[in-house]
Amino acid sequence: MFHRFVAATALAGIVTALLLVAPTAAQTRKWTVPRTADGQPDLQGFWNNTTYITLERPKGVTTEFYTREEALQMMKRAADEEAEQTEPGTIADVHYDFTQFGLDKSQSPLALNLRTSLIVDPPDGKLPPLTDEGRRRAAARAEARKRMGALTDAVQNQSLMVRCILMDRNGPPMLAGAYNNNYQILQTAGTVMILVEMLHDPRIIPLGARPQLPQQVRQLEGSSRGRWEGDTLVIETANFTDKTAFQGSSENMRLTERFTRTSEDTITYRFTVDDPATWTRPWSAEVLWKKAIGPLFEHACHEGNRGLYNTLAGARAEEKRAAEKTPK
Amino acid sequence: MRTTFAVIAGVGLLLTTVPMQAHHAFSAEFDISKQLKLQGTLTKWEMINPHSWFHIDVKTPDGKVEPWLIEGGSPNQLIRLGVTKKTLAVGVEFLVEGYQARDGTNKAVGRNFVFADGRSLFLGGSAPAAGATEGK
Repeated sequence: MFHRFVAATALAGIVTALLLVAPTAAQTRKWTVPRTADGQPDLQGFWNNTTYITLERPKGVTTEFYTREEALQMMKRAADEEAEQTEPGTIADVHYDFTQFGLDKSQSPLALNLRTSLIVDPPDGKLPPLTDEGRRRAAARAEARKRMGALTDAVQNQSLMVRCILMDRNGPPMLAGAYNNNYQILQTAGTVMILVEMLHDPRIIPLGARPQLPQQVRQLEGSSRGRWEGDTLVIETANFTDKTAFQGSSENMRLTERFTRTSEDTITYRFTVDDPATWTRPWSAEVLWKKAIGPLFEHACHEGNRGLYNTLAGARAEEKRAAEKTPK
Repeated sequence: MRTTFAVIAGVGLLLTTVPMQAHHAFSAEFDISKQLKLQGTLTKWEMINPHSWFHIDVKTPDGKVEPWLIEGGSPNQLIRLGVTKKTLAVGVEFLVEGYQARDGTNKAVGRNFVFADGRSLFLGGSAPAAGATEGK
């Protein structure tokens, strides 16, 4: 009952917001991009990029956009799934309740639009085919991962996310995860900072003609340089490492992100991935960022990461118990 | 609606939700075969990330008091929904259904948190401003 109530409450918000999707031409004309004191397009403030739209277009959907009715049904289905019952004694049930902590997507700001996939190019809304090199690398990575042993054998076997080093919200590209998809953008004359709430990670992007870092200097989040093209902030990023792989990308992926303020409460975020070592062609995706409630709150993930300790301690305790049971 | 919920919501009636993508695999931290129900009083709530922790004192049948640590969700969205450290008073009693840690210590994940009067801990979507946005 309670969760149905939660879902119903949230869905009421979704319906209201859907009615506001795609403002009329008259509304669009009235609005002009705000400027900072020094004349830059103003992207500053608090933003949230939570969405129910999947990166790739779902099977069976053939159009670029849903009708409003279809979009509502898609979100209702997803919200219902969030509120579905889990069976006690199943893996899915070993978890706290997202809705009790306000962490389900239906309780987050949603920047609604009618797209059927975040990928806008290729036009079929799917990732392009992998190159032979991309396929070989994926297989080699899986093999290398297997050689490392079980996830609980060593802390290094756990993902960067579990170790509080890097999360999907950090990117780049910056895509929402399950919750806390909050960002703050701050602009100065020569720099843009995008503070990511998760991991409390400030991404600092120099603007202007500064060259990228030398090729041999590699960083988890790459090396980013920004510039203005009209009202759009364009950020180019290179120099990734082999420790991250966005959808299977290589360390030589080149990423171009475009931030355009398209309404008072919306930034249109579009990114293009160019990685010929992985995909047969570049591909692009678009996500709306919705103005959100500030401030950002601390996310001292590493300091509070008892889950990692408990997981490894649990594995050691189980090994010990098993060894004690084995006859000598 | 809220009143109705308070009346009908016994622990057994509570629906539980499908976990979404989480920060880590909870089934690696907690033991699926060690389901438990604990009734305790709150001694401390750590509103920390990546997941919050509730410290509770549980009375055992022989009258002893056992401290337990219960893992819950990231507090950041709760803070946006108006929840503060003062929202939960030390000494408040609640019932936790969950799963014990694999290392066998007094730690558990809290699958459901329910107050003694049947109300659910935090009211999620019924809290003020849930899902809403505001200006700067």
